Amino acid sequence: MAEPMLQLKGIHKRFGNLEVLKGVDLDVAKGEVICILGPSGSGKSTLLRCVNLLEPPEEGEIFLEGRDICKGPGSGTGEQSWNLDYVRQRVGMVFQQFNLFPHKTALQNVSLAPQTVLGRSKAEAEEKGRALLERVGLGDRLGQYPETLSGGQQQRVAIARALAMEPHVMLFDEVTSALDPELVKEVLDTMRELAGEGMTMLVVTHEMGFAKEVGDRVVFMDGGVVVEQGDPKQVLDSPREERTQRFLGLVLER
Amino acid sequence: MSVFFEQYFDFHIMGEHFWEVFDAFLQNLLIFVVAGIVALAWGLLLAVVRQTPGRKTGVLRFITIAYIDLLRAIPLLVIILIISGGVPFLTFIPKGIRIPEWFGKPDPFWYGVAALVFVYGAYMAEVYRAGIEAVPRGQMEAARSLGMSHLQAMRYIVVPQAVTKIPAPMLNELISLLKDTTLVSFIAFAESTLVSREILAEQLNSSALILTAFFFLVICLPGARLVDFLIRRNQAKVTRGAHIEVG
Ligand SMILES: Nc1ncnc2c1ncn2[C@@H]1O[C@H](COP(=O)(O)OP(=O)(O)OP(=O)(O)O)[C@@H](O)[C@H]1O
Ligand SMILES: [Mg+2]
Repeated sequence: MAEPMLQLKGIHKRFGNLEVLKGVDLDVAKGEVICILGPSGSGKSTLLRCVNLLEPPEEGEIFLEGRDICKGPGSGTGEQSWNLDYVRQRVGMVFQQFNLFPHKTALQNVSLAPQTVLGRSKAEAEEKGRALLERVGLGDRLGQYPETLSGGQQQRVAIARALAMEPHVMLFDEVTSALDPELVKEVLDTMRELAGEGMTMLVVTHEMGFAKEVGDRVVFMDGGVVVEQGDPKQVLDSPREERTQRFLGLVLER
Repeated sequence: MSVFFEQYFDFHIMGEHFWEVFDAFLQNLLIFVVAGIVALAWGLLLAVVRQTPGRKTGVLRFITIAYIDLLRAIPLLVIILIISGGVPFLTFIPKGIRIPEWFGKPDPFWYGVAALVFVYGAYMAEVYRAGIEAVPRGQMEAARSLGMSHLQAMRYIVVPQAVTKIPAPMLNELISLLKDTTLVSFIAFAESTLVSREILAEQLNSSALILTAFFFLVICLPGARLVDFLIRRNQAKVTRGAHIEVG
């Protein structure tokens, strides 16, 4: 395997009495695109949120570019400050509900964090933001507020916003699920381009076509564990595990 | 019936004391402006501290919650009396602070302002909290995932949105605050209520008090209408927003 970008070892996460992740292991190589599938409630979102410490795991180790990000002063409290900086500057996240800042224009959405977090000048951050919005096909929407953009456009702004922090890994949590069908393609195209440029990506998705075409590997999760993983075509077309078969059967029926 | 009108609406007495009562009412407005501005800032600070995450700030959070609960449970007049009747004797406090006479205003003015800030800061903290909690969780998460600290996320993302959600309840607090400036009359500060009570005592006539009531009415009634308007506009926005979401 190529240089490891991310290694998860025995990740456990509980919410009260509910154990959502029950020992997840996952190795992600640099530049790899991993598509994560699984039924609702299987812990896919929680897994992504563990990776950027929005929900720090209670047990297990996460190595990001070789460094264990779960260790350190105050670990487990969600406020391990030096790790948070390390992690959040390397890991970008895009959400199902876009979560754009409604009181900021597209350009301000993209250029705010580089100024406040990285200390870039306004001019520098906006120049970069303009280039990023150009890249996701929104060069003519800089001054518009999120509510005046379509869902697909909002999600592309969200992707540009995450990219502005120059992440090494991008997490996508069902980013096309809230979109009308005709808007899904423009977002998937943006992600496909990103993958083509060598970005390491963890993509929770129900888009089987995308998984087959762009994914280097498909991971199937159920009940808080990884049930099966492998080459996308193998896992999606001829899954070995019964649980995977049942899930894919259900998805195809729809 | 004419007895009633003479007692309450003696235009001769009203005319004679109009400017005296008006000037005193300006003192109410002055207390209101100073206490209002400081309370708005103090309340925001309390609300933000209350919302900090993590164990490290647990004690601070506890103190803040205790403060907010306590000051809302004690009558404002009692607080005014506790401050004005005790602070002047706390000799360990420098005299300039213990008995303040800043900007040419006598110490009762400042005791009144302090009490109003302490109490209304607590009320306003609760209003801010409602606004902060009305901002979707995803906003904080998105800001944090971009590397902002909790405080940066509060400052740039959450609070600017929170304050747009609470103009009506905040205006209600400000209206109450304006009316409660009359309580400073209890510690002998010559605002409109005190002045008109003195006129009542001299002339055994209530017309000056009616004049005072009128001044408050002129300010507070449009304020109440404005609150109503803001609430209705907000409802319209919510309905429109729902259409956008669905459409
Ligand atoms: N903050 C939280 N507090 C309590 N329970 C939570 C929390 N976040 C997630 N859960 C629970 O954890 C379980 C897994 O949630 P998660 O969102 O990771 O599933 P998912 O695989 O992403 O599902 P979906 O496909 O519906 O998004 C669910 O039962 C959910 O209710
Ligand atoms: Mg999910």
